[in-house]
Amino acid sequence: MRKRYDWMQSYLRILMTFLMVMFVMMGYSRQASQISGIVVSVDDNEPLPGVSILVKGTSRGTVTNMEGAFSVQAAPGDVLTVSFIGFESQEVTISGGRTNYEISMESSMGDLGEVVVVGYGSQRKADITSAVSVINMDNIGEVPTTNVSRLLQGQAAGVQVRQNSGRPGEEMEVTIRGIGSLGAGSQPLYVVDGFPVGTSLGQSLNPSDIESMTVLKDAASTAIYGARGSNGVILITTKSAKEGTVNLDFVVNQGVQNIPDGRRTKMMNGVEFAQFKHDSFVDRIRYYENREPSIEEVPLEFRYPEQTTVSTDWFEEILNQNARFQNYNVSLSAGKGGIRSLVSVGYINQEGAVIETGFERFNVRANIGGKINDFISMGWNIAASRSNEDYASTNGRSALIGRALWADPRYPVYNEDGSFNDYIGGTNGVFGTANVVQELHEMERTLSENNLLTNGFLEFSFLKNFKFRTSVNAILDNTEQKEFRPSTLAGTGFNQAPPREATLYQRRNERLNIAADQLLSYSKIFGNHRVDGLLGYSVQEETYKYLQGNGNEFPNDQVTYLSAAIRQTSTSGEADWSLMAYFARANYSFNDKYLFSASFRREGSSRFGANNKWGNFPAFSAGWRISEESFMPETRWITDMKLRASFGVTGNNAIGNYSSLSNMAISNYVLGGSIANGQVLSNFANANLGWEQSQQTDIGLDWAMFDNRLILTAEYYNRLTNNMLLSVEMPVISGFTQSLDNVGKVQNRGLELALDYRTMINQVNIRSNLNLTINRNKVLEIRGENDEIWAGGFYSTYNVAQVGRPLAMFHGFKMVGIFNTDAEIEAWPDQDGAVPGTYKYFDANGDGVISYDQQDMIEIGNPHPDYIIGYTLGGDFKNFDFNLMFTGAFNYDVFRNIEATTMNMDGVFNILQSGVNRWRSAENPGDGRGATTNTWKWQRESNSRYVYDASHVWLRNITLGYTIPKNPVVPHARVFFSAENPFLFTSFPGTNPEVNTRGGINIGVDDEAYPMPRTFTLGATVRF
Amino acid sequence: MKKYINTLFIGLGVLFASTSCDDEFLNKTDPTVLVSDNFYQTETQLVQAVNGVYGQLRPWHLSQWQYTEFISDNTTLHFNPGNRGNGPSLEALEFWQYNPATSNITNLYNSTYGIMVNVNTSLSKLPESNASDAIKNRSEGELKMIRAYLYFHLVQHFGDVIVITEPVSSPAEAFEYNRSPVETVYQQILSDLNDAVALLPSSYGADDIGRVTKGAALSLLGKVHLTRKNYAEAIDALTQVTSLGYDLLQDYGAVFDPQNKNHQESIWDIQYQGDNQFGVGSNFIYTFAPRESVGAVIDFPGQDGGGWNTPTNEIIALYEEGDLRKEVSLKEGYTSLEGTYIAVPYINKFHHPHSIRGVTNDNWPVIRYADVLLMLAEAINEEEGPTGTALGYLNEIRDRAGLEPVNGLGKDEFREVLLNERRIELAFENHRWFDLKRTKTESELVNMLNAYGLRERENPTTSREGIPFSNNDFIFEAHEILFPIPQDQMRINSSLVQNPGY
Repeated sequence: MRKRYDWMQSYLRILMTFLMVMFVMMGYSRQASQISGIVVSVDDNEPLPGVSILVKGTSRGTVTNMEGAFSVQAAPGDVLTVSFIGFESQEVTISGGRTNYEISMESSMGDLGEVVVVGYGSQRKADITSAVSVINMDNIGEVPTTNVSRLLQGQAAGVQVRQNSGRPGEEMEVTIRGIGSLGAGSQPLYVVDGFPVGTSLGQSLNPSDIESMTVLKDAASTAIYGARGSNGVILITTKSAKEGTVNLDFVVNQGVQNIPDGRRTKMMNGVEFAQFKHDSFVDRIRYYENREPSIEEVPLEFRYPEQTTVSTDWFEEILNQNARFQNYNVSLSAGKGGIRSLVSVGYINQEGAVIETGFERFNVRANIGGKINDFISMGWNIAASRSNEDYASTNGRSALIGRALWADPRYPVYNEDGSFNDYIGGTNGVFGTANVVQELHEMERTLSENNLLTNGFLEFSFLKNFKFRTSVNAILDNTEQKEFRPSTLAGTGFNQAPPREATLYQRRNERLNIAADQLLSYSKIFGNHRVDGLLGYSVQEETYKYLQGNGNEFPNDQVTYLSAAIRQTSTSGEADWSLMAYFARANYSFNDKYLFSASFRREGSSRFGANNKWGNFPAFSAGWRISEESFMPETRWITDMKLRASFGVTGNNAIGNYSSLSNMAISNYVLGGSIANGQVLSNFANANLGWEQSQQTDIGLDWAMFDNRLILTAEYYNRLTNNMLLSVEMPVISGFTQSLDNVGKVQNRGLELALDYRTMINQVNIRSNLNLTINRNKVLEIRGENDEIWAGGFYSTYNVAQVGRPLAMFHGFKMVGIFNTDAEIEAWPDQDGAVPGTYKYFDANGDGVISYDQQDMIEIGNPHPDYIIGYTLGGDFKNFDFNLMFTGAFNYDVFRNIEATTMNMDGVFNILQSGVNRWRSAENPGDGRGATTNTWKWQRESNSRYVYDASHVWLRNITLGYTIPKNPVVPHARVFFSAENPFLFTSFPGTNPEVNTRGGINIGVDDEAYPMPRTFTLGATVRF
Repeated sequence: MKKYINTLFIGLGVLFASTSCDDEFLNKTDPTVLVSDNFYQTETQLVQAVNGVYGQLRPWHLSQWQYTEFISDNTTLHFNPGNRGNGPSLEALEFWQYNPATSNITNLYNSTYGIMVNVNTSLSKLPESNASDAIKNRSEGELKMIRAYLYFHLVQHFGDVIVITEPVSSPAEAFEYNRSPVETVYQQILSDLNDAVALLPSSYGADDIGRVTKGAALSLLGKVHLTRKNYAEAIDALTQVTSLGYDLLQDYGAVFDPQNKNHQESIWDIQYQGDNQFGVGSNFIYTFAPRESVGAVIDFPGQDGGGWNTPTNEIIALYEEGDLRKEVSLKEGYTSLEGTYIAVPYINKFHHPHSIRGVTNDNWPVIRYADVLLMLAEAINEEEGPTGTALGYLNEIRDRAGLEPVNGLGKDEFREVLLNERRIELAFENHRWFDLKRTKTESELVNMLNAYGLRERENPTTSREGIPFSNNDFIFEAHEILFPIPQDQMRINSSLVQNPGY
């Protein structure tokens, strides 16, 4: 049934093996001799360990040892490039006959001299006056991942990356500096090779193709993207050829994934469940009829629980415990001469930890660019990908994982004849459901996506200091989704025995996004003054189209296309948006000491009302390199110190495309026995709908110490989101209960700390990076003071935005215990329908009644972590290297909504193993967490019983590498072992403390998602 | 040089802005729908706007049973211990546990004003449209009739309500309206109905059957006067209906047969159509059939009903021996596909064969001639006593049902007999709650309902699988005669005053 490219996997394996062997056997020799020497620091003449020595134009190189000594193969005339963090790089030419060199290095501004990619350009790190985090690609380790979003995990302060589930290919949820919007989206903007591609990367990029990533966090850096800068911007640069080198690189990475025991929810087994059902019949008679029941009053199937013969662990049955992971990449780059180019091909295949699910993707990427002559340079980049996924719907109690938990364990997966047992449960009140294993095998659920991204630029240099760059970018996406549910499966609701009507859903989308930028830049240094200027004009337009068909009732389950359906419906549609912007930026620095920057963007968006299409987004920032001041003492404590401050305004237009207009909707009637077309208003028009704006202030300190061995970055920010794009309630006499409007105010304030430390201990080079994020969110205003926004439901939980509190706080009844006796119920405020064993709720409004609605619901949990951390520890010793990466989030709550089902005591579901400790009688009150089986009420409403602290630390990745000693055949080869998500430290009872099954502003709800595997891989990189 | 840069810049800018001005590039409208600013202009558009209002009455009527039958002594529910999702919503109506947060009351309030906005918008745009006068007049009559019908529901359910007859142009404007006294609401209703009577035709050509007619407007006018106890006016309006050519069908079952839509007895039916997937079907039986009937009632494999609006023991017992209407209106149980008889009753009036699961062909009778005759009998009895004319109308109904005529009743007796006759004849057609409110005093109603509630608690119509009632279930308090104004509306507009008791 599944149609993935199995041939491709074996083909690739053979090819890669062959190629490696061939290249190893080839080899070449050249007249080179052994050059050795020592590297010392000019300041104190002490040897410098860990200095990188590279023979220029080759990939041959080494690093100095503890004594600062090195030795390398080089021929006379070769140039050694000597570089070390915190010191000026230098080049040493090898002269004939001399084999020993003493090299003195001068300390420098170090990595502050680095150039960092920023919006519409790049800037020397030393000159940056805004809050920008550069992701150090070395810190990431060898990550077996399909999605680029994983590379951001734990790497930058202020950037929260949540892995909501273990679904193969899943894009992680990235939030920069908190959730700033209630109505519009909160995802950052991704900019790939200079072009905004949207708030999701999807499957278009291969993580192996990434050269660098920069996160723009404050308004001063993002305002140049005005429209979509409010939630931060992630700039991604893909790899291109390095100047002067020709490389052929191979990467192979293979491994297995499985779900460790700690990431499984333990349900009752067959005997336990039968006992539970047995007891629930007995308890009911004891309580309501106040007598001892006879054995005949218990249904036969539960009468003798210990005689239950079948016990199926449905969750175990759907796991693929040796799911394979494979990744192959080949790239060829040519950087010699004026025009450089790179071609790369990648293939990744990740089987799912759930059977019959998986993801694979092919990527190709090619770019070419360079100088045509002294005046013109150009570049062109083209990337294409194709991904295929066999997916399963996994979130929520009626989806796969939920049903694997609550399905009756007393049924086998297979009948005696080997066929699937097609209906599970459905007797004596236990809900009947489909066999999840059968469903995974027999349902066809595929999602494939083609993505083509291409962009190019032409740049003219003129009048010495001016450059004009014109560029264009196009993205073309096609996706196709197909879901066929055969008639053999029971329904997805309760008690829907098979056979059922077969159903088919098929949908194709196409997205075409075209953008063009014109940039005029100016750059000049006059003495101590350094000036940069930029003027730009940008337009972008996107068109999205879809065609969808549904089929019902099929003559057989073999032909699974719409044409075979007895009943068909189809629909199609289109949506477009456009934007246009003018922008300017100026940077000025004096003496490399006083730095100023200002930018302005004026942008129009098709999404806003006729009266408010255009928004203005100014930003200013300044920096002061205190360390350059003559009054600052020369001390090892201060290698470099910069204080900076910024303020800016950014916008958010992540709303529907046509929200400002009132449209007509179809409302047909029947007249004269035929369909009569009717039209009604579908929403309230708001011609004034305009930009949501964020004002952000940022104060930062960059402090490098001990020759850049310790670098501290600290930031304080205050981001106020105004005129939020929010669905605001209005009197329904207008015809509608809400309209989208610009109201309300949310504040995100925070501290970010990043500490980067490098040292050497006993020949082991150590580098470590710690980042800490503290964000505080607060709703300052909605419409009036008392306005609240409730999102969610009575039987799940409410995420409530209330003025003065963080947004999306959990609201529900506060559970204060379990009633033990009727007398206790009498003494308590009227909780209508309560019996001994039900939860006792707090009468929050003090009116003597716990009413069965929201009146007594109060704040019961906070889904926002107090602080989150990322920690990376890496190092190398001789040829070995290692990298460990931890992430953590502390002091926040998750609402385990799935427990309203898996601790539902009605006897309609299988329940958690811990349910054996439920309340049974006043004498046997259990653990105080499980309610009685005697009623349904006062157990599953949104209440604090289901709120858990989800503080945790994940060891996200361990990478161990070994670099094969240099040899003339393979200049650079490394093998590595990687463990992804190996350990989770938490007291949270769910399987993933970062779960967020609902998204949007319904954050922190655990409905049980695709389980989180750990992945062990072995891999190699080879460079020729 | 500057000039050169400017020229280049502007040149390229223009090139990429697709040679049009900024505003055009940034003006995007949804290509899949029409924008309302450009609507209501042509005759076709005006007719479509009116049709759209009728179209909204379709889904609206799918849930009206909750507020008229289910809440009353006519029907109850088949308690489902496994699915408590409707506890605080739908079941709150059945057990009289509703409060301002009850979502189904919010739904009623919101969906009614959600139709009103289209009535008001269409009426306000109507004069400027270039439709013919004939269509304008007809449309105005239709819209006003529907507006009166909606306000009549609102005023009976909520008492004082906000009367809005124009579309608002901004959210702020909507905050300026407040609740009007019942009297004012009725003035609006009567004004609209009198206009509708004058503007509407008595009948339509084949293509327009299903639109409201003069007969429908007069019948509703009669009902409003009856409710207001203006018996003379009620008699006047209803008597006019009797000369419009309506008649009772011989066969009670034929009244509800979808093969026989818009017959002589139907004065206003909400039109539904099954056997296709255009989304205009009804689904009453899917709500009303027993919830574990697994294909035994609704003839599709595995199909269950909702188990809602279940006829009570009380109404089942009320049918006289030999009443031909009983078998049409309800079933006392069904035989499962395994052959076991299961005594869970259900409403059978809207249960007919259909070819597509979930899409039935049954129309909903809003006003039929039997109702008019019974209203006339009621009005005459109140105005003149149990005259021969009044008795004649009543016995016409009984005669069709295969029952003996009644005779020799006093005025009060007649009132009781007539109310019971309405209960049986118009069973499950969304009349019961309004009939009770119209004919009973507050204390009569409270006592009657609590007595019924007590009986249902002691001997529930359907099994509760051992789960007892909550203490406050089936306790009816006087203030519950009126629904509360929904909490959301109260919260956002502090100038509104809630009904007493909530």
